Amino acid sequence: MDVFLTSRIASDVLGGLTNGVIYGLVALSLVLVWRSTGILNFAQGAMPMLATYVGMVTFGHYFGYWICVVIAVLVGFLIGAGTERVLVRPLYGKPEINPVVVMVGFLTVLEAVAAAIWSSTPRSLTTPFSPIDFHLSGKPFALSAFSLYQIITAVVVMVAVAVLFRFTNLGLQLRASALAPEVSRLLGVRVNRMLTLGWTLSTGVGTITAILVASNFFTGLTPQVMDGIFAFGFIAAAVGGLDSPVGSIVAGIVMGIILQFVGDYVNSNAIILVALAILIVSLMARPNGVFSPVKTRRV
Amino acid sequence: MNRQRSPRGLSAAGIVIAVAVLSLLVTPSVRDGVALAILMMLTVTSALILLPSELRRARPVLTRAATSTMVVSVTLVATFFFSSTTDFNLATGAAMAVTLVGLSFLTGVSGQVSIGNGAFMGVGAFTMAIWSNHHATTPIAVTLLLSVVAGALVGFLLGLPATRLRGPYLAGMTLAFAVAFPAILTYFNSWTGGDGGLQLPNAANPPHWLNALFVHGTSSLTSSTLWLTDITIVAAGVAFFFMANLFSSRVGRAMRLVRDNEVAAELVGVNLNRTRVLAFVISSAYAALGGALWTFLNNSVTPATYSFALSIVILSVIVIGGIGTIPGALIGGLVYAYSTNVINWITNQTGLNPQGNFASQLNGIIFGGLLIVTMMLAPRGVAGVYYTLRRQRASKRGDVASPPKETYAEA
Repeated sequence: MDVFLTSRIASDVLGGLTNGVIYGLVALSLVLVWRSTGILNFAQGAMPMLATYVGMVTFGHYFGYWICVVIAVLVGFLIGAGTERVLVRPLYGKPEINPVVVMVGFLTVLEAVAAAIWSSTPRSLTTPFSPIDFHLSGKPFALSAFSLYQIITAVVVMVAVAVLFRFTNLGLQLRASALAPEVSRLLGVRVNRMLTLGWTLSTGVGTITAILVASNFFTGLTPQVMDGIFAFGFIAAAVGGLDSPVGSIVAGIVMGIILQFVGDYVNSNAIILVALAILIVSLMARPNGVFSPVKTRRV
Repeated sequence: MNRQRSPRGLSAAGIVIAVAVLSLLVTPSVRDGVALAILMMLTVTSALILLPSELRRARPVLTRAATSTMVVSVTLVATFFFSSTTDFNLATGAAMAVTLVGLSFLTGVSGQVSIGNGAFMGVGAFTMAIWSNHHATTPIAVTLLLSVVAGALVGFLLGLPATRLRGPYLAGMTLAFAVAFPAILTYFNSWTGGDGGLQLPNAANPPHWLNALFVHGTSSLTSSTLWLTDITIVAAGVAFFFMANLFSSRVGRAMRLVRDNEVAAELVGVNLNRTRVLAFVISSAYAALGGALWTFLNNSVTPATYSFALSIVILSVIVIGGIGTIPGALIGGLVYAYSTNVINWITNQTGLNPQGNFASQLNGIIFGGLLIVTMMLAPRGVAGVYYTLRRQRASKRGDVASPPKETYAEA
């Protein structure tokens, strides 16, 4: 067993899982926004990035790690809700390129503002967890206290979102207003509030993701830190289906593992090429996502 | 008709005088043949522009050819007098405008949007550089065409899934491509020259036929970089001419129908998939041409130019100029060419520390902010505002309202 756990294959699987949960979380936050408002949020990486800067850097001078995490997530909630109210609300019912363009503009502004305030120099957040791999009978295997923290946090967030949507009254209202806004409104659901809540939740999930990414000793926090992660997260969401939370999470994890193998056995620059290839092939085969039911268009 | 005659006559006289003055000024610096050619071009085109509107309506292609020739020749003549900095800015803007008109076409006629056109520019730019390094003797026009083909091929590959997709998937995919592009360049670094990029082998040597047209030594054309500017502008003019025709061609109409009503398009026999992919391929090919022209203009290419940030800037300037319109692309190209100057001016005026964090990020804040504000208040940009004002004025005068220019983004 020890031999297997320290083998190259096992370490790729574990490393891939650690990255994959991050892609899955980004994909999940994209799906939350897509399902509630039908918008692909291109600022889904940048909004949490800003929340992380505010929470972890600005408040990091005064408080410890865990208090800062709470503050950052609260700031993320605020940014999400504010964005939906101010920027997104005027865009409902407009051609689909309008929200795309506005959110790309928002992404640019957020990254520029963050770089203007905190500079582009990477900042490392001090985490309570060591990034050094555990050892089994003298050999390292690809799991550290930090990656365990990352995986467990991600799973907890995913389960929490699932519980919220499946088993609570609020979740039912959220699903109803996404599925049939008019009917929900007639039945007394405050649909507008639910849309705001969708964005709030999504940015909250995104902020936890960004904190995990930024807490990673090897990446640190920069204004552009989420650009690449967003690309992988989008690919995961598109492969798994923008309608399907479970599908996009699974796609994210599977992709993380595949890409880890590509990076290990081929070349780290080939990773994004393979990811693009996966995206193209899977979209050709299953346009609505691997895990989404095939939709028929009614004329 | 009567009412319009006098301003038309006045502008005709103005153009003829301008042509005469310009050709007198240009003649000493070039051979007679060139001066004559410029003069003829200008005269022919000004004559065509002044044709009665019935004839212009009856012969749209001819009118478009005349318009492009006139704009190009006026710009060419102007480049003789501008400083080399201005020339370089104009050519940079012209190449950017080629990219922009491709994106404008994609959005305007097929309702899709690409966030990855910076990467497609990079495809063209690097194809140009790689080919020139291996086959230095290939004529410029052929190398440019090869770059366009390369851009079209990559566009086809990425556009294939677009046949089956709806919604903003294409935007997301092009974004992923733009983010991935630097890594792709590094992956092929034996071809692309890694971080340092590539130099063109025969830098700053004008081709023989161009040398033969101009007097050696006397003209600034061969001794400086003016010929680079002028070839770029001519190429941009040709590209714009084709695009103007495409906008109102059968294919263009089919694309607009696909955008507005898929079912109707299918009923009249338009192939939805082919049309969507074609729009994307054309847009990528135009972006590649813009990038190839940049490589040609700078005699070199570096991967840092074609970062994700470039793709966002491209989207910003075309939205500001007017996405879905042709004049919007020209405005966007100018905005791009002078944005650095304007931002430096703002930095100086506001007394910001030019090395400071804020000044270095001003670019992103202004472009991103303008992107949001334009989309919220005037989604068709400067060109759209102009069309709206013109229509309002026309209807106030009681004329038959000219049909509105179609664009996808709505107010």
